[in-house]
Amino acid sequence: MATVTFEGATRFYPKTERAAVNGLDLEVRDGELLVLVGPSGCGKTTTLRMLAGLEHVDEGAILIDGKDVINLAPRDRDIAMVFQNYALYPHMNVAQNMGFALRMAGVPKLEIERRVRAAAVILDLEEYLERKPRQLSGGQRQRVAMGRAIVREPRVFLMDEPLSNLDAQLRVATRAEIAALQRNLAVTTLYVTHDQVEAMTMGDRVAVMKDGFLQQCDTPRTLYENPTNAFVAGFIGSPAMNLLEGTIEPGGVRIGATVVPVANGLHKAVGKSVIAGLRPESLALAAAGTGIPATVRIVEELGAEAFVHASLVGADAVPQKPSNIIARVEPRAAPGKGELVHFQVKEGSMLFFDAASGERLR
Amino acid sequence: MSVSSTPTAPGGRVIARRGSRVGAGRERPPAGTSPTAGYFFVALYVVLLVLLGIAPVVYAVDLALSNQGGLGTSFVDAFRDYRFVPAFEHVLEFTGLWLVSQTILVVGLTLMLHNLARRVGAAFRFLFYIPGALAGAASVIVWLFMLDPSASPFAFILHWLGYAQFDNTIAPGNLTFIFAIMAFWIGAGGWIVVMYGALNNIPHELLESAQIDGANAFKTALWIKLPLIRKWVVYMLVLSFAGGTQLFVEPTVLGSAALGVGVSKYWSPNQLAWFVASQYDNVDEAAAIAVVLLVFGLAVAAILVWRGRLFEVE
Amino acid sequence: MALNQRHLMRVVGLAVLLIVTAFFVVPMIWLFLAPTKTDGQLLTESPFAFGSLSTLFHTFHRIITYGDDSLVIWLKNSAIYSFGGTALAIVAAIPAGYGLALTHFIGRRALLSITLVVMIMPATALVLPLFLEINKLGLYGTIWSLILPFGFFPFGVYLTYIYFSSTIPKDLLAAARIDGAGEWNVFRYIALPLARPIVALVGFFAFVASWNNFFLPFVMTYDNSQYPLQIGLQQLIGSTASFNPANYSAGSSIVVLHRPDLAMAVIIAVAPVLIVFLFAQRALVSGMLAGATKE
Repeated sequence: MATVTFEGATRFYPKTERAAVNGLDLEVRDGELLVLVGPSGCGKTTTLRMLAGLEHVDEGAILIDGKDVINLAPRDRDIAMVFQNYALYPHMNVAQNMGFALRMAGVPKLEIERRVRAAAVILDLEEYLERKPRQLSGGQRQRVAMGRAIVREPRVFLMDEPLSNLDAQLRVATRAEIAALQRNLAVTTLYVTHDQVEAMTMGDRVAVMKDGFLQQCDTPRTLYENPTNAFVAGFIGSPAMNLLEGTIEPGGVRIGATVVPVANGLHKAVGKSVIAGLRPESLALAAAGTGIPATVRIVEELGAEAFVHASLVGADAVPQKPSNIIARVEPRAAPGKGELVHFQVKEGSMLFFDAASGERLR
Repeated sequence: MSVSSTPTAPGGRVIARRGSRVGAGRERPPAGTSPTAGYFFVALYVVLLVLLGIAPVVYAVDLALSNQGGLGTSFVDAFRDYRFVPAFEHVLEFTGLWLVSQTILVVGLTLMLHNLARRVGAAFRFLFYIPGALAGAASVIVWLFMLDPSASPFAFILHWLGYAQFDNTIAPGNLTFIFAIMAFWIGAGGWIVVMYGALNNIPHELLESAQIDGANAFKTALWIKLPLIRKWVVYMLVLSFAGGTQLFVEPTVLGSAALGVGVSKYWSPNQLAWFVASQYDNVDEAAAIAVVLLVFGLAVAAILVWRGRLFEVE
Repeated sequence: MALNQRHLMRVVGLAVLLIVTAFFVVPMIWLFLAPTKTDGQLLTESPFAFGSLSTLFHTFHRIITYGDDSLVIWLKNSAIYSFGGTALAIVAAIPAGYGLALTHFIGRRALLSITLVVMIMPATALVLPLFLEINKLGLYGTIWSLILPFGFFPFGVYLTYIYFSSTIPKDLLAAARIDGAGEWNVFRYIALPLARPIVALVGFFAFVASWNNFFLPFVMTYDNSQYPLQIGLQQLIGSTASFNPANYSAGSSIVVLHRPDLAMAVIIAVAPVLIVFLFAQRALVSGMLAGATKE
């Protein structure tokens, strides 16, 4: 049981100008599964490796249970890590792989056997204990990597994109298993992924990073409904939120050729350039003459729902900037390609962001 | 839509990069690893390196340079030794002969084998490679047998060339040619294996595309394969050159057959150096000759390591 | 016309290949068949004829007992120098290659460069300076004058360096370090068990180089009891009638050797290396190519 705290943690890679991780302040609460997510190069893996002791920390501190560990070697931090490529020892069988760390710690052989067996039971690996990694499937190897971590009973679990090498179906199933496992063991876990769906389904809280900076750290629901900036808004949610340039006018916001009415007061910001955020599900098909006009480019039929990708047009059907919009529709009511449709915006669902900085305007 | 793409720091704190960071030369060891453990792993090897690689060179240079006669006298003495120039002439002629023939034959044979079915090519390569096991005195003896017109299976060739007797075959004028044959017999197989490996590294899409472009086997070899293995050919040339100048075994062992009256005890520079060291106790001159040979070897090594991109040092 | 041309080229190509193959192979065949024939038979019969088994045994016995079992002594010496040198080479080169590949320390790159330079330099260039130094150190005449130089094997270090840097993923070492292994344990439990192929390869090259080495033992040994097989073979030439007829007059009491005897000696001398060659060809391909960057 432990808390992990990053205080202004910073890492510069040699010979680069930009910091890989820049002044990170983040807390992982005891027993929680915190997911670090972001596009490649955002610094999430570097953050994880700093916690592991595999990257130097150039500035700031990293505390485990209140004690700064940046000068401790990885083996002294009482952490366990699951690598993206599993990093299983190819010359050892499953039981030896899982028991290696305990062996290094000098734990008596009987105790090692007991703990390995217990972990194997949890992970359904009992019949594979004698096998070598090359004799296992991808999913089985992934479980061995997890088993290796569990057996150590560490204070913190670190997971570096453990699912990215599995095929899609297996990934979905394993996702739920890992989340359940973590809940049962109640070990503080820092989990890195680039897949925002994974982040949203697994994390107690999710921390979004970009270009070395922490953008927002909140529960999935809060991130979805209350993003602090345009990047988070556009990153979380699939399909992505529509982020449309517009200008505030009296009574609403002008997007392209249309003015969308906005209920409560943006009166002080009249004339300001903003980015309007609209989730696909906040748009509904409306009768001609009302709402935002657009011509349909393509309709994605997904069975339970359909998504219309359309291009905004003006009153005279001339294409407008900003051009693309995605809306969710009932599959039976989906329009056809090339059709002119009108979208109505659900009351109060629009979010506004500063056009220059991307910060959320409230 | 356009969201600002400069790094955003919500909450505002940006840590500026300290000037000394950029362009820092040596990076420190990765976190979690020891900066000194490496020394223990290389310790025994370094001891051997200093003792048997560096120290002898230093000692030889010192011996060669320091002489009662003053700095460099040993070198002058060596150069003036009436046997010095002929010895170098011998090995340079040998090396030239050997390198030209080896390059042509190795490249040609490898290209030919590359066109054959895999198993067939492998069988030939294996046969060519086996003589390499006899490197050294054994190969000289085998070729002594081969060059003796009375018992050799190649007798018909020898007779055709006009050699009826053994002492004619190993007459002094033929020596460079004979040594070249021996060196080729021993070394070609190994180099063919290397060249073949290099050819295999060529993505076969390149060769297929050449085929589609209308190139026949010969043109493909000339315009595609050859340029792509150029690096290895140079490697072979340079290494063989350095080795050729160091020739010792073949002339010494050949010279043990008393019929080889033309093979003096100082036919090659290495032989000469040993001769003056063992016969006259003239270690200074021996050291001077050794240093000259070392310079040949070092020059080759330096070229390969620093100018060629053959070896990774990272 | 083109078809005839291609046909002709193929025939020419095949002919060339056969001639070349004969060049490489015929001497070996002759060598192995020679001890089965008497000297007279060598002169009169076809080189590819098999003599008789009894001649073979006779030849074997004669050469093995020659000079008070000299061949056996030389064989023993070769074994001592070569196995000793190879063992030392392995013990020094494997950890060194590991250190150069997977640890970081000041001077690592320099050491690697020096190793490369020494490796490319032909070993014979060092023999005379080595002789002078060994003399000075008072090691002349001891087995160390051979075992130590044979154990210094920069090529082995470089091969090991290439092997470790390309076959051990960095994550594996990181995992081991997180699992609590110190630097020595990482080497012992992770790298070493995975190093079997390279140990075999380095051992092979070291063994062949030391077994077949002539120049170094030539300068370092002075007595028959110290000679390895390579030097011994050279001695035998002196006693072989067909190569040194002037040495022998009728009625001389020196045991004279003939061609089959010498051939037998050569076979015995190269047998160990030949056997290893036959088994190791596949590993050798990768070993030879390991000496330079992959493109």
